[in-house]
Formats: sequence, C-alpha cells, structure tokens
Amino acid sequence: MLSQSSDSNLPEKLARHKPEVREAYARYRATGDVEAVQIVILAMVRDHLPKPSDAPITDEQRLIEDLGYDSLAVAEVVFAIEDTFGLRIETSEIMQISTVGSLKAFIAKKLGPQGA
Amino acid sequence: MSADNTGSVRKRVVVTGVGFITPIGNDWAGVAAGLREGRHGFERVEFFGNPNVPVKVAGTVKDFIVESMNWRDWKWPARYEIARETLRGLAPHGVYAICAIDQALEHAALPREAVADDDATGLYCASAGSAMMLHGHLKQMDQTRGERGNPMGVVSSICGTLNFNLAAHYKITGSVCGFVSACASGSHAIGYACDDIRLGRLARAIVVAGEELNAETLLPFAAMRALSAQSDPAVASRPFDVARDGFVGAGGAVALILEESEAAAARGARVLAEVAGWGQAADGHSVAMSHPEGRGLANAMTRALADAGVSAEEIDYVNAHGTSTPVGDRAETLALKTIFGGGNGGKKQPRVSSTKGLTGHPLSLSGAMEAAFCVLAMNEGFVPGNAHLVNADPVCEGLDLPRATVNERPRLVLNNSSGFGGSNVCHVLRAPGA
Repeated sequence: MLSQSSDSNLPEKLARHKPEVREAYARYRATGDVEAVQIVILAMVRDHLPKPSDAPITDEQRLIEDLGYDSLAVAEVVFAIEDTFGLRIETSEIMQISTVGSLKAFIAKKLGPQGA
Repeated sequence: MSADNTGSVRKRVVVTGVGFITPIGNDWAGVAAGLREGRHGFERVEFFGNPNVPVKVAGTVKDFIVESMNWRDWKWPARYEIARETLRGLAPHGVYAICAIDQALEHAALPREAVADDDATGLYCASAGSAMMLHGHLKQMDQTRGERGNPMGVVSSICGTLNFNLAAHYKITGSVCGFVSACASGSHAIGYACDDIRLGRLARAIVVAGEELNAETLLPFAAMRALSAQSDPAVASRPFDVARDGFVGAGGAVALILEESEAAAARGARVLAEVAGWGQAADGHSVAMSHPEGRGLANAMTRALADAGVSAEEIDYVNAHGTSTPVGDRAETLALKTIFGGGNGGKKQPRVSSTKGLTGHPLSLSGAMEAAFCVLAMNEGFVPGNAHLVNADPVCEGLDLPRATVNERPRLVLNNSSGFGGSNVCHVLRAPGA
C-alpha cells in the first residue's frame, strides 16, 4: 500500500520532497557532504510541522515551544530521519533534542565521520 | 413532552442536522436523488489485482482517494479542510467522518466554534477501527522484529480511532465514547447519545459512524461466506429476494446532530425529526448468526416502541437491517411478523424496505446511515423501495415490501440494526409535527 519512489535508492519518505531535497540526499550519499544532510533534515522538520508554514526555520527555534510540535510529532520526525539515514535513535536520546540546531547536530554526530 | 414512570417530564431529543458520505451520495441532495430514483452505489472491484478473489462488487465511496496508509497521499473534496495535525492520526474512515460531521454541523447551522470547548456537547462514535492501518503497522513491526513503529500507529488504527481523533479535532469536552457492536454500532451510538441528552447530561450530541471499504475490512467476511458472489452490480445486493446470496460491502461515514428539543428551539434550530425512542435486546444464540426466529430483534422492536410510547400499528415505515444474507433476512422477516402480525389479525402493515439494496452493507456505519436516510425520507416525503427485489422469499408473505419508491410521507419510522453476537438495536423516529 505504501507508495513507491521511482528512484530505488531514494527512501520512500523523501519521495514527496522537492527536487533540491532529493538532490541533497543523493549528494550526501555520494560524498558525505554534511551541508547536504542539513538541507534534508530541515526539509523533514518542515514536513512534520503540525501546522504547515512557509516561514523560515532557524537553528534556535525549539521544536515544541516555537514550531508547535508535540511529543508525537517529535517522535514522527525522528523516526522519519532514522529511516532516511539508516540510523537508530534511542528514546532517551530523543528527549535531549529541543531545538532545530540540536537536532541537526545530533544527527551529524550520529552519522559519524562520514557526516561529521 | 411526556412523563416517564417516575412522573417527571422527559426531555425530548431532536435531529437538527445530518451529513452523508455514502456510496449513493455525499450530500443531502445526492442521497435524496439516489434513494428516490433507486440509483445504486455499486461498482465492480478487484482486490489484490487478483481475479480469483470471490468479491466482485462493492458500495464504493466516490470523490475520495484514501487507499494508501500514508495520509500524504490522501485526497478528499476541497470544500472540507483537514489540518495536517489531525490528518497524521486518522484512518481513512476518519477522513470520511470529518467530512460527514462538517456537513452535519453546517446542516444544523452550528459553527465549529459552537461545539468546541462546550461542556454540553458530546461525541458518540461507531467504528470497528481500521484493519488496513492495523495490518500495515503490525507488518512494519514484524519486519523490524519489534524495533520500529509509527508513533501514530495506535491512534490511527485501533477501534477507538474515531473517538480519539475527532474529540481532539472538534475540541469536544462534554463527553466522548465509542461503540463496537459490529453492525449495530451506529445504532448504539444514537441510542446512548439520546439517553445522555434525556438524562440531562448534555444538550447536544454529535453522532458519527464510519467504515472503510478495502481488502482488509471486507475480505475476512468472504471467509465467513457472508458476501454475495455476484459480479453484476444490479443484482448483487437484493434483500428479501429468494435468490439473495450474501451482502455487498460498503464504506463511508454519516453524522447526525442530536439536540435536546428546548435547547434546539432556543437557538432557532430547524427540527428534522425526533428520536422518539429506542430499544435493544440480545439473541443469546450465536457468535455470528441471527437467532432463527429473530428473537432479539423482535424484543428490541418491542422495547423501542414502548420507549417511544407508540403502538406497532402507528408505524408507517420500517427501514430493515436487511443485509441480503439468506439467514439474516429470514430472521428479520420473522421478527417483523412477530411485531406487526404479517397481515394476520387485520393489523395495519408498515411499508418495509432495506436500503442496502442500493448502498450495500457498511457494517459499523449501517445503523446511523439508515437512521439518517429515514430522517431524509420523512423530510422529502417518500418511502424508499426495495431495490433489486424481484421474487420475494416466500417467508416474506404478509410483509408490505414495495419494489419502487412510494410517494407518501412516513410520520413514524422504525429503524432496525443487528450485529454479530446477536446485538439488536431499533429506533423510532417521528417526523416534525407528527
């Protein structure tokens, strides 16, 4: 039932994203470019906003207090990132993430030398 | 007003709005035309792309795309707004339900703000949950050996999915609950909503029932040999016909706005009908089959009539449960004869029809959908006929089963529903001014 991406290397969760997001993901896979990871994460944070918005999202913004996330939406975006990058994030680690910047930094660290 | 057995004046419950997402129409006008003109809502279907699946016809919901597990793929009529924060927790029939409720609120001239955070408004839901969503989420759990799950997996799939999501979406604070008595669920939701208003706990209730039409919901009934094997939409659902061979699955959602009559009058609401009474009784017989003589259903009708304070002879029309199964329709026929005499003893016979000849059987939705059909028929001034009925089963002799629409306004209507486990529920609805 899940819709399939036309690009077999592209995670299903990115299939609906803009071309520049899909290109950033491909660049990360090819080169380990950390800037490319940030583009993808920012797009996923926007995609999981409970109230959709085109307003700029900054690193300082807190997911819950500033962007309107609730704990389920935080879990949703973290799981989507896990699936996209093949990571495993523990619940205790999710609890440490409060801002967009801390999420980006956390994922970069998780991805290790390739993404750091 | 009427006095109950304690001598106090009983509150009356009226219907002030209805909303339809059904196989035969997605609004009042569409449903009215479908019922009056006898236009069915069936289409040929093929599940799993497998022509060997023995289910060929279904009562489909038009103008929605909700086949995917991912809400980002869903589409629904543009007039309804559903925010992302609501969508992420919904099952497909939750989308139908929101559209039906929005329509019913508009029909009742009630803005969303009037029911939000209102301690006098409750929400009564009928749903069996989403087998499709549950299957998908558990499959993901299996595939990851328990390591992964969707955070919205529970609230979008288990039986309470409608109540969980809709109470949050509409900011319901009066009460919220759900009913899972299979094909009697929608009728139970109306009955208990009615009671809470009569008891003075609430001034208003939103009743909504929904069902999905997909392989996960429907095909398990094929394993029970409960579904019609016909491939012709024109004959697959033919309640009370001697050649009936099972029910035709259907989906959709219907909402009704119930209000305490004085509260409705105080805001100048238009009254569409009164829920004059209801009753329920159990068969005590089988997990899935009706009692052979319709014992529980007859008792439920007796109790509904008593609750409404009317006699059987006063009933103008019975909207039968009539699913088109050989056993169920026979049991209901015998129950109807127990109550109405079947032409013996000179008792006046009500018109009897099953609108499932046009819609198919939408399970949890059935009772609420048909109550709303009755409200519509009373207001539009006709009695729906028995679509696709050609040769009535001999057991039906003595019942008045009109084949085509009858242009007369029913004033008092009985609406029957029966579910697995022998759960039987009936309502008596009274037309305004009757």
